[in-house]
Amino acid sequence: MISRTKLGLPFILGAGVLLALVLPLLNAHGVVSDFTLNLWGKYLCYALLAISVDLLWGYTGLLSLGQALFFSLGGYMIGMHLMLMIGDLGVYAQAGKNPHGLPDFMIFLGHTFLPSFWRPFYSFAFSVFMVLALPGLLASIFGYLAFRSRIKGVYFSILTQALTYGAALMFFRNDLLMGGNNGFTDFKRILGHPILSTETQRGLFVATAVALTFVVLGCRWLSGTKFGLVQRAIRDGENRVLFSGYASAHYKLFVFVLSSVIAAIGGALYVPQVGIINPSEMTPDKSLEAVVWVAVGGRGTLIGPVIGAVSVNALKSWATRAFPDLWLIIIGVLFIVVVLFLPGGIVSIPGRLAAFWSRFRKPEPEEQALPETASRNASADPVSRTS
Amino acid sequence: MAGSDAEKIRLIQSLALEPDADTPRLLDAWREDALYVFQGSAGHPIPVQLTGEKDERDAQVAVVVETGKALNDAHGAPLRLVGSDLTAVEHDAKLRRTMKEVLDTLELAAPDPKKRVDAVQAIGFAQNFEKLPALQVRFSRETNPEVRRAMEEAIALIQLKAPDDVVKLQALGELRGLHTLASFDFVRAALREAEAAKKTAVAKAAAVALSAIEQHKSAVNFFGTIFRGLSLGSILLVVALGLAITFGLMKVINMAHGEMVAVGAYTTYLVQNLFGGGVALSPLGFSLSIPGLQATGWRYDAYFIVALPLSFLSAAVVGIALERTVIRFLYRRPLESLLATWGVSLVLQQAFRLIFGANNVQVYSPAFLSGNWTVNDILFGWNRVFVIGFAGAVVFGTWLILTRTPLGLLIRAVMQNRSMASCMGVRTERVNMLTFGLGSGLAGLAGAFLSQIGNVGPSLGQSYIVDCFMTVVVGGVGNLAGTVISAFGIGLADQSLQQILLNPVLGKILVLVCIILFLQWRPAGIFVTRSRNLDE
Amino acid sequence: MAKNLLLTVEDVSKTYDGFKAISDLTFYLFEGELRTVIGPNGAGKSTFFDLISGRAQPDRGKIMFGLEDDLTTMNEYEINRLGIGRKFQTPSVYGEHTVWDNLVLSLKGPRGVFSSLFRRLTSTDRDRIDEVLELIRLSGKRHWKAGQLAHGEKQWLEIGMLLAQEPKLLLVDEPAAGMTDEETHRTGELLLSLAGKHSLIVVEHDMTFVRQIARDGNVTVLHQGTVLCEGKFDAVQSNPKVREVYLGRGKSGR
Repeated sequence: MISRTKLGLPFILGAGVLLALVLPLLNAHGVVSDFTLNLWGKYLCYALLAISVDLLWGYTGLLSLGQALFFSLGGYMIGMHLMLMIGDLGVYAQAGKNPHGLPDFMIFLGHTFLPSFWRPFYSFAFSVFMVLALPGLLASIFGYLAFRSRIKGVYFSILTQALTYGAALMFFRNDLLMGGNNGFTDFKRILGHPILSTETQRGLFVATAVALTFVVLGCRWLSGTKFGLVQRAIRDGENRVLFSGYASAHYKLFVFVLSSVIAAIGGALYVPQVGIINPSEMTPDKSLEAVVWVAVGGRGTLIGPVIGAVSVNALKSWATRAFPDLWLIIIGVLFIVVVLFLPGGIVSIPGRLAAFWSRFRKPEPEEQALPETASRNASADPVSRTS
Repeated sequence: MAGSDAEKIRLIQSLALEPDADTPRLLDAWREDALYVFQGSAGHPIPVQLTGEKDERDAQVAVVVETGKALNDAHGAPLRLVGSDLTAVEHDAKLRRTMKEVLDTLELAAPDPKKRVDAVQAIGFAQNFEKLPALQVRFSRETNPEVRRAMEEAIALIQLKAPDDVVKLQALGELRGLHTLASFDFVRAALREAEAAKKTAVAKAAAVALSAIEQHKSAVNFFGTIFRGLSLGSILLVVALGLAITFGLMKVINMAHGEMVAVGAYTTYLVQNLFGGGVALSPLGFSLSIPGLQATGWRYDAYFIVALPLSFLSAAVVGIALERTVIRFLYRRPLESLLATWGVSLVLQQAFRLIFGANNVQVYSPAFLSGNWTVNDILFGWNRVFVIGFAGAVVFGTWLILTRTPLGLLIRAVMQNRSMASCMGVRTERVNMLTFGLGSGLAGLAGAFLSQIGNVGPSLGQSYIVDCFMTVVVGGVGNLAGTVISAFGIGLADQSLQQILLNPVLGKILVLVCIILFLQWRPAGIFVTRSRNLDE
Repeated sequence: MAKNLLLTVEDVSKTYDGFKAISDLTFYLFEGELRTVIGPNGAGKSTFFDLISGRAQPDRGKIMFGLEDDLTTMNEYEINRLGIGRKFQTPSVYGEHTVWDNLVLSLKGPRGVFSSLFRRLTSTDRDRIDEVLELIRLSGKRHWKAGQLAHGEKQWLEIGMLLAQEPKLLLVDEPAAGMTDEETHRTGELLLSLAGKHSLIVVEHDMTFVRQIARDGNVTVLHQGTVLCEGKFDAVQSNPKVREVYLGRGKSGR
């Protein structure tokens, strides 16, 4: 139990190399299909989203229902760049009706000139900067307000849910000039390469796997520092942390911004691989889905969210085809069962089995090792505890 | 029916002075090419009207215009004729206009006051000076105050077109006193006209009248907004009240609360169909059909009275089942309760889809909820008035249950100190179950009521859940009075911002921002329940 | 040597929902003093600590630390950083952390986000933690999760956490609750040894324990949110008002 957070460095690196090198190589040799590779790329983006949820929920005790918002914002920022990169390949441009290189949806809405806030997105570097900056800024402002007034627990969840809901309403509107209902799609090129080509997709997969590996390594390092100690202390007893002299609000703000940026990176890698981003990605339900992944995988662990994101989504891919009508019921029931009976998630199964096995082999239960503790707890004097 | 055009016009106009019940029908038929000339056996033409359903050769029953009886053939059987075989009675544009005018004037004498008002307004808006005498004659005979008011307005509107400035001034004064919303555009036109013609007196009078109307308009908007705000607040209140109990008192975040609302709404739908034509469902491939009572009229409308308690009960039963199977394991883990109940909400939503279909179903409002009152130009929909009254009754009922019944006492005891209550012999398990049932039942009632306002669909609950959580949080958790105030506050803020910004979505977003800022100032809501425990 | 005033509490009142928890309380503490505070249930002892440690703000009145720091305008962590440590009535340790980590978190030093990211434990820090572990007799259980400790051990750990902070003023709320007689005595000895270097306010119910720790210092009796009397233990014990409050409540017929 002690080393739950200390996942071996060789293991992480090994898994990272396996993902980033072996799968694409197999794909290049035709063993793994393009479809499968693309699917796994998507799962790994979801894993980044799941890690961002876990960093908040599993490690700091903050259940944020706004992570899908940050994920989508990251996607939207890179999406703006991809929309501008369509250029002369757009439908209106092909018909010669787009002299100023606007995204098609704007022409459709009757605009003639590119709005000024779109212009910098011609630059890939600026777009990447915005992937990190916009979600980070939003998280800073919201987090500052929320943590300053000591909003926590379910209130934080409800407020982040409302934030996500409000943002989704905004992005559904056409006059935000972010594509409205349909969002962004029909991308053609990224960094000059055709976006749908096998090579580009393979490159995106490698980028995702590398990003995920670095994020996991970073989180591992973080959990080993004193920051990690404070983070978990906030989860277990925030008031006590204040009386130890820590401004818990600052720590929470830092984690909130950090995890929003991680989610945004996931979103930015997701959009070119999936080829679409629209406001339905930023509903509170999507955030909750990511929470499901973490719960199923095992919260408060490094590898849990990755396992959860991949396994639940693999299950989803299969079940939506096999039982389209029952898929939501399957995930709903799965979730209830995990919350009720397996709070530690998949990651805790080996430990549980081992405990079960050792108990099975040795008739004496493990509690006997600590008889002293049990009796002294019982003798604790409860009378003088109230004043 | 023959003769020159002038003669025809004169004839038609004469009809206006001696109206009889058939005149409008006849003229309508004429205008719409449904009046034909049938060459009878005797050789002279008979004007006929074709009515009734067409048969396979498109033939219809022919009715003789003069007698109003069916035209019989030589054997005395009703004759069926085909429209295209006959010559339609001719009419030209001039005739049609005359007919329309006559019809309008005829409407002035219609027995239904509402029809009279419509006719008067039509004439007034046309500002046709020629209609003035007829209108004035009618005005002197009219007794219904509503129609008289409409006539005053119409007369004044027509007089705005008068060549004489004195008449115009008088009309403007009249309009200023009446300050009807409809006259706004006309008065503004008159103002522009007067300004263009440099008639300062008229322009001034028009400006005064215009500002009076504008004042009235903003008053109407203001009170209309308040009314809509109150009714929205009432909806929020009824939905949030159940949440205030499960969330506020039990500290359980029930994400499936919205689905409890939907359970109530679907129950209403089922009850309605059982009163009417029956219901056919096909969940998971099984088909199930239940015959209905085929009730009509007020008996059919009575379904709603039956549906209210049933929707409460059905949602309460689902809620209790949920409490027994899932929530009771999660009383000390609010975040986990949020997650597990979200799973429940997914399952229920999909269940609705499988049972009732993915599309919205229509619930018809009973007659006593579908009308509206207009008081001083402000529209009061009966369903919204009902919503406000009902919310008041539900709040009062809940308050009674919580403060005046043994159950309420137990609920409050358990919620304040679970272990203490348990030590004192309270069966906390049972109280939890009943409390959760009460909260869910209230959601079901809210569903019955939302079915009267909008469509019922699988995701009905989802559209309210965020707002309702906000309502409870702003009100201060565990505090009914706070919930009431915050529901009305949010309802009013939402409607006023919509009115000011003219943009519902922006208004909604702004309300959310306001709530977040409000919580900066009062993080624990309007009413704070303090705790001295370090861990809370 | 004239002692300096460390804590000044003057005319402080605090009301919770109409209930006067503290009314017009005045209290002074000098550097190096060990003050014991006693009083019946509801006398306002915990609220008194809440007000000093920033958990609650007074409705009116003045609370100063030293001569310059106005505690009424500060929040919990700012007050803690001034050097005021608090041990809670019910032991509050980080149950999921090891005993060692609990002490690392409490150790005196910078508390900022960035220092927590990049600062590593020095050997001095380790020595200091070992020292505290020795003192609270938990050296052998340094890798245990704090949640697995017995109630009395948790109390000790929390005292250890307090010591690791090296505060100027220690607010100690019922340290002996849940301890055996032997442990209680040892706790008393520890607190007495701290007096002089540190200042302490100890709230306690157990009269044997109070007698032990109040052998040099003064005792303050709180009643209905205000100071009933103050003085040496024997004087306080024989004070008729105190006897009335502790014993005579039944007689007065309320």
